Amino acid sequence: MKVVANYSIKGGVGKTTSAVNLAYEASISGARVLVWDLDPQAAATYFFRVKPKVKGGTSRLVGGKGELASHIRATDAPSLHLLPADFSLRHLDLRLDGTKRPLDRLASLLAPVADGYDVAFLDCPPSISLASESVFGAADALLVPVVPTTLSGRTLTQLADFLDGKRDAPTVLPYFSMVDGRKRLHRELMTTLRAAWPNFLPTSIPAASVVERMGPERAPVATFAPSAVATAAFHGLWTDVAARLWP
Amino acid sequence: MEAISFTSSEHRLAKLSRALTDAGFVVGPWAPGRRTVLDTFDGRLHAAGLRLELSDLHRPELVLRGGGTAVSHVKVTAVPRFGSDLPQGPLRARLAPLLDVRALLPVLRVTGRQAVATLADGRGKREVAVVLHGGVVLDGVPGAAPVWAAEIDELQGYPKAAERARRVIRSIGLEPHGGDVLDLVAAAAGVDLRGYSGSPTVPLAPDEPALEAYRRVLANLAAAVERNRPGTIDAIDPEFLHELRVAVRRSRSVLSEAKRVLPAEVRARYREEFGWFGAVTGPARDLDVYVIEWPDYVRPLGPETVVALQPVLDHIARRRVAAYAELADALGSDRYKTTMATWRAWLQAGSPGEEVGRDAAAPIGRVAADRISVAQARMLSRGRTITEASPAEALHELRKDAKRLRYLLECLGGVLAPAPRKAFVQRLKALQDNLGEHQDTEVHAVQLRTFSHELFETGSAPAQTLVAVGQLAERFELRREAARKEFARRFGAYDTKETARSLDGLLRTALGS
Repeated sequence: MKVVANYSIKGGVGKTTSAVNLAYEASISGARVLVWDLDPQAAATYFFRVKPKVKGGTSRLVGGKGELASHIRATDAPSLHLLPADFSLRHLDLRLDGTKRPLDRLASLLAPVADGYDVAFLDCPPSISLASESVFGAADALLVPVVPTTLSGRTLTQLADFLDGKRDAPTVLPYFSMVDGRKRLHRELMTTLRAAWPNFLPTSIPAASVVERMGPERAPVATFAPSAVATAAFHGLWTDVAARLWP
Repeated sequence: MEAISFTSSEHRLAKLSRALTDAGFVVGPWAPGRRTVLDTFDGRLHAAGLRLELSDLHRPELVLRGGGTAVSHVKVTAVPRFGSDLPQGPLRARLAPLLDVRALLPVLRVTGRQAVATLADGRGKREVAVVLHGGVVLDGVPGAAPVWAAEIDELQGYPKAAERARRVIRSIGLEPHGGDVLDLVAAAAGVDLRGYSGSPTVPLAPDEPALEAYRRVLANLAAAVERNRPGTIDAIDPEFLHELRVAVRRSRSVLSEAKRVLPAEVRARYREEFGWFGAVTGPARDLDVYVIEWPDYVRPLGPETVVALQPVLDHIARRRVAAYAELADALGSDRYKTTMATWRAWLQAGSPGEEVGRDAAAPIGRVAADRISVAQARMLSRGRTITEASPAEALHELRKDAKRLRYLLECLGGVLAPAPRKAFVQRLKALQDNLGEHQDTEVHAVQLRTFSHELFETGSAPAQTLVAVGQLAERFELRREAARKEFARRFGAYDTKETARSLDGLLRTALGS
């Protein structure tokens, strides 16, 4: 099982919508997919129409009580399962801090279910914290959404500096998110950032109103807008990611 | 997904549909469709606990079940034949190593109608589905009895909803069966989803007469030849020819080791005929090996050398097509058909008044132990005479001895205890691998230079191709030399007191002591 963390230090950059749509695209491409919603806001859980509840609390699970498998729920996509978020995740750092090897904790929780899935997406809360470090310890790749703004390059540099020299650090795969192709500044910044970061994935996700409709529809965009530009973009992004994971 | 099937009838399924509606399920429309189970000839996916299905209920879609509760789905535009035809990504990553060079074949194809009844929670989230299967029959089989069934698609994390579906189904008196609707149809039609087993080992009682035991062993090998013949002629995948040739070689080897059991005329005639089978199928197999192994052969070479070698690969591919046409002619010839017909007839009933060998009535346990002991002694005796100065031919002869011993252990293995037999075969295999590497690399180097010469003669390859062939042939030479150097160590590791003790213990199991 490959572990992909959708991660950004910044919030509001389209991280969760990407995680949900990429997971869906992965599931219809033949992958058995697990999404672990680690964000106490539980947005991914909401989009999949699953109750944001884990018996005993996810935080307690991370702290060492119980096993992951019994909390996994099937979604309406036949190959896509979800470990829902709940509000106890706001104490995740505290719980991790109380474990013996906090940086390996998420990886060791995922290990028993690894044979049953091809890819796990971890939808992470925005920050650099102990929880983020545990995510880095579990992930093969960090998918980092980047809105083309002047400060985006700095955020990527912060992340790269943080991971620099760490043993078994995940591959950082940035991609442009919420892109408005009509804006000259977006176009220019994308060119500059691509030159500075050759690892940028080729596909960009546009800023599109159809993505906002995920809220009322409570579903990935491909299910209610299969012909939308954003749907094609998420499909393209998943193809880029899959090519890196299964060359 | 957990699927539980309940055999039913058209009337009961209609009753179930109404009961599900009353229980709050939404029953969707009936839709016709066809489902095809794909697997290799030898059932590799089934053996791995997987089921690959091509479904065209809506749009053509591959569905892979097994290996966890999540089921893989992917839409396809064409039926995949080999692992490389599967869409790139995790599904191919899972299946391609299992399939290796084998082709996917339809092992079960059914048609029927289905409707899906779903139960959702207040958020509109589906919690369970019941799939109703109406009039499912084997495709293209007129008069086949239709199967009516319902399956519960239990979704992970929603056990209460699944239990509710079970209660509804039980309330109208339907009984659960093991497996899903495809298992039901396969069982009704007598289709074995496990696929072909090419095992040369048949159950043998140590005290049964040797002649009868040899007949059963050889009949099993004859069946392997016949079962792999159509796939070989149609060139479905290279394993058909490989399996056929292995069965032929085993047959010939068992005949060689049946001197005191089988009638001399029978041994002589069929050894010659199986020798002919081997000769007419050899060229195509040699070329198959080139095509299969080519990516590994050229991997260490630079990209320019690989491009320069392309005319050689094209030449091999052309020769392979011609070789397959020749072997198809041979396997469709009167000689082949007559040989197999008379061979099967003799294996079944023998010939009146024939003079059998003096050990024909001896217990097979003792005969097998004797033959294996002799084969081991012969191999060790030859191996001990091999020095660094010995010609390559000495190692080739030793390889033949080792194969003969291996075939005896496998074909007469029915009288040996399975676990120590497997352990001993592993011990022997380590030596065989070295001898195989030594001979194969020598043969490949010689063949490559032959291909190069043929291309040169016809003027169909540039100079850089001939240079590249030289580079590749040199690599084979280096590998051969390495195998030659390794031989003494491998043989020394085999020729030990421990091996002797291991074999003695194994053979005692054949003698019942």
